Amino acid sequence: MTFWRRLLHAVLSLLVPGLGQAWAGQFRRGFYIFLATFSLAGLTVFTAAQRARFPEQVYGLSFTVFLRLTVLAFLTLGALLLLYSGFSRRVPQDEYTRRMTFLGFLLVVVLVYFPLVGPQLLEVAMPPAGSRQLYGTLLMTMAAVVAGLWWWNIVDAWHVRPDEAQMGWSGLIALTLVGLLILGNWIVEINVPKAIREYRETSRILGDILWPWRAAFDYRASELRATARIQAPCPPGSQPPPVNQPRDDGPWVVVEPTCGQLSTRDDKGRLQYGTLLTIRGGGFVPGKKVKIKWENPIGNEFTPRGVGPTEIEVGPDGTFETQMYIPDVVIPDIAKGPQIHKLHVVQPGALRFTGTLSREMKLALQAMLVSIMMGFMATFVGMVLAVPLSFLAARNLMSTLRVSMQGLLGGVLGLSLGGWLGLQAAHWVSRQMGGLEQAPVAVALTSAVLVGGMALVGFRLMGRAQERLMAHMPAAVRTAIRMVGLAALLAVPGALLGLGYARGILALAWPPEEVAVVEPKLMWAVSGLAAIVGLVIGYRWPESRPVPLGQGIYAVVRLIMNVVRSIEPLIWGLVGVIWVGLGPFAGFIALTLHTIAALGKLYSEAIESIHPGPIEAIQSTGANRLQTIMYAVLPQVLPHFTAYSLYRWDINVRMSTVIGLVGGGGIGFLLIQWIRQVQYQHAGLAVWLIALTVATLDFVSAGIRKRLV
Amino acid sequence: MLKVEHLTKVYDNGTVALRDVSFTVEEGEFLVVIGLSGSGKSTLLRCINRLVEPTEGRIVWNDVDITALDEAGLRRVRREIGFIFQEFNLVERISVLQNVLSGRLGYVNPWWSLMYYFPPEERQRALEALETVGLREKAHVRASDLSGGQKQRVAIARALMQEPKLILADEPVASLDPVLAHSIMGYLERLNREQGVTVICSLHYLDLVQRYATRVIGLREGRLVYEGTREDIRRLSDEEFKRIYGEEAQRLGG
Ligand SMILES: Nc1ncnc2c1ncn2[C@@H]1O[C@H](COP(=O)(O)OP(=O)(O)O)[C@@H](O)[C@H]1O
Ligand SMILES: [Mg+2]
Repeated sequence: MTFWRRLLHAVLSLLVPGLGQAWAGQFRRGFYIFLATFSLAGLTVFTAAQRARFPEQVYGLSFTVFLRLTVLAFLTLGALLLLYSGFSRRVPQDEYTRRMTFLGFLLVVVLVYFPLVGPQLLEVAMPPAGSRQLYGTLLMTMAAVVAGLWWWNIVDAWHVRPDEAQMGWSGLIALTLVGLLILGNWIVEINVPKAIREYRETSRILGDILWPWRAAFDYRASELRATARIQAPCPPGSQPPPVNQPRDDGPWVVVEPTCGQLSTRDDKGRLQYGTLLTIRGGGFVPGKKVKIKWENPIGNEFTPRGVGPTEIEVGPDGTFETQMYIPDVVIPDIAKGPQIHKLHVVQPGALRFTGTLSREMKLALQAMLVSIMMGFMATFVGMVLAVPLSFLAARNLMSTLRVSMQGLLGGVLGLSLGGWLGLQAAHWVSRQMGGLEQAPVAVALTSAVLVGGMALVGFRLMGRAQERLMAHMPAAVRTAIRMVGLAALLAVPGALLGLGYARGILALAWPPEEVAVVEPKLMWAVSGLAAIVGLVIGYRWPESRPVPLGQGIYAVVRLIMNVVRSIEPLIWGLVGVIWVGLGPFAGFIALTLHTIAALGKLYSEAIESIHPGPIEAIQSTGANRLQTIMYAVLPQVLPHFTAYSLYRWDINVRMSTVIGLVGGGGIGFLLIQWIRQVQYQHAGLAVWLIALTVATLDFVSAGIRKRLV
Repeated sequence: MLKVEHLTKVYDNGTVALRDVSFTVEEGEFLVVIGLSGSGKSTLLRCINRLVEPTEGRIVWNDVDITALDEAGLRRVRREIGFIFQEFNLVERISVLQNVLSGRLGYVNPWWSLMYYFPPEERQRALEALETVGLREKAHVRASDLSGGQKQRVAIARALMQEPKLILADEPVASLDPVLAHSIMGYLERLNREQGVTVICSLHYLDLVQRYATRVIGLREGRLVYEGTREDIRRLSDEEFKRIYGEEAQRLGG
């Protein structure tokens, strides 16, 4: 490695990080270095620019400004590096001293670069109008990191050889990690002081959530209460209610007079006092307050305001005395007869535990039950539907399923014909049963059996018929039929492809009117093209070559399952809510769909991992396909199926508790409602129930699984 | 009579396992196939009941062209051909009796069998088959709990259920010790002698070949390289045997 070669690499890497390494033949290394340097710089600029859209928060940053900043940091760091290497050459070369020197150098960088050099760099790099202080340190650090990477890359390029890298990866990884940590901290807006400062506000709510059990029960307030009756207004000649008398066996109140005038409000809203009432009471708990409440003739109770004290201290003998004007109560003109009001004296006592569950607790329990059953039903139904699908998605079973080309062509025709006939039959049967609403399960099941069964029978019969028929035909006829059949078969997906292209791709850029014009043309064109391809394939297809039908089914089923599985159950929950409305049914649909796909995949992988030997053995006895599955495949996969189903049940009950967040019913629905209504104690109940259920389920399913294996 | 004509098998990965192999097996023969590991013995046996699809050539059994059969026809032929594997290939998680009964799948009503139901007379037949191989008392044990020799006897009982006219045995004793080997070969011999079942069997050990075979064919790299009668084999010295077979040939008794 000549000096000039090394220099070339270093200079190249100075110009573009990673270029020197790539030039030396280490393409991957060069690429990583380039990627690390520029993604850090780019992310810094991008983040700063995004923040700049909210001007009061942040000063924006352009790439050129950051580049200038980085170049300056680069030069400063270079100078410091020179200093360091010059210095470290003069000190003794033992390990300890070298380490200490390096640490000292780092200290100098922190002490010198940031406070002294940093602001100067910012001054140069930033336009004067900008608010320099904001994010100054942050940008400085990022510039230093990028500059550090740049330096490291130049030194690396100097050392690099075509066959091996000299410096390892640690510098690149460490610097990139530091840069990403700083950026991440900035982007995620991690703010530790804020978290500490504002914790106190949270603790009360947290307490409600962590120990919400007071909300789980009903409490009765054991209050003391005494009531007096007063007539107001008091027209002449009226018969006022009798005055109460003190008693010994409980709380009492005596109000005098028992007939008087209401306070009123004048035009300016000022209160004009009515009759002054003298209120004496006794038999209350000494040393605690009583409250005075007013009840108007139609039974509304309220605390009177501005007419006298409403909270009075009770004396040591349990009595009190106070005065109050009759409050301003609006009596409608149409009110007839004497207007009798009530004055209550209330002394709240301790809350008494009644031993009954509160309404919310009952609601939460019920919703929990809904969730558990939702999870259970989804698992069961999903399991039942996933089993047949998983056989279609198992490569080892499907790869042996082959049909002759003629059989396929006849079969597809028969499939469509049989399916159509089955549909008609299903309609007829449904009408006989009184429609889908009358007997939903029966109609759905018979329809599925009719359509599926007749389609399959159609495939089988027509396929066989075609094969038999063709066996007697001259080769030219066979070829012609193969060509026509394949052309027709491929024309359908071709048309769909054309349509999809027009609606999916063209419509992205073109105005709708133009797309509408092109759409049918495109459809016919692609369909025709596909038909021509079909003609050619049909012409060239050797008579004896089988069509790997199983492989095709396998690919399609796998694809669908992967797509369904990769969409989260919460998203399926949204679909379910739109489909069947709010409630547990929507959640059930969501979980079931996801379960079918997830279990289908797991099941089919279990099938793919079985021993092929027993399958061959059973086939050798003359067993048919279904028998082979029942005798050679099922016994082998059943333990796996059970374990996976239990595992899925676990997941589904967990998921069912949150599917309610999007309206899928169950406990999650209740939880999100309570959170929105700021009822944290009730929300806490829901959280506890979920936690308890999940823990119990973990325990139970782990136990069952242990017993199975 | 089984006629193999110009049989060639090329696997999907391009391996040519059989090249233009032709021979004939008369009714009631005990034909032993010898050859090095990888010479195509398994492929040959599997082609006969089409566990492996032949690439070229015909296999005609009692005037039926097996290679030309459709699925239903193939099943009807297969149920009369027992296949014994080196690794037994029992279904481990079900009972011995169920394993034996599964040999009857080609005969019974398929719909009943899908629900694991077999008529009483079939169960009786299965118990008798187990009796034949001396495992009557193991009928309700899980197949995975048996020893190697017992598993192979169950596999033979399963083949007996097929009322086979032909038995294909692919190194049936290669995973067993010498004493067990003789006992297993004994069952095959008795079937061959007493019931006239044709047996085609691939073997490793010269003394087993000499003891049981009525005729021998040798394969090397997929080609038929040796054909000999009972007398030919008896006269075969160890050296000649090794020439056909290769260095790994050995005598069972040592
Ligand atoms: N399923 C297969 N796919 C590809 N090659 C195979 C397959 N089975 C066997 N072979 C190859 O075919 C040749 C013959 O194998 P086989 O019939 O098992 O020989 P033998 O039973 O005599 O040991 C070997 O080279 C083997 O590697
Ligand atoms: Mg073999």
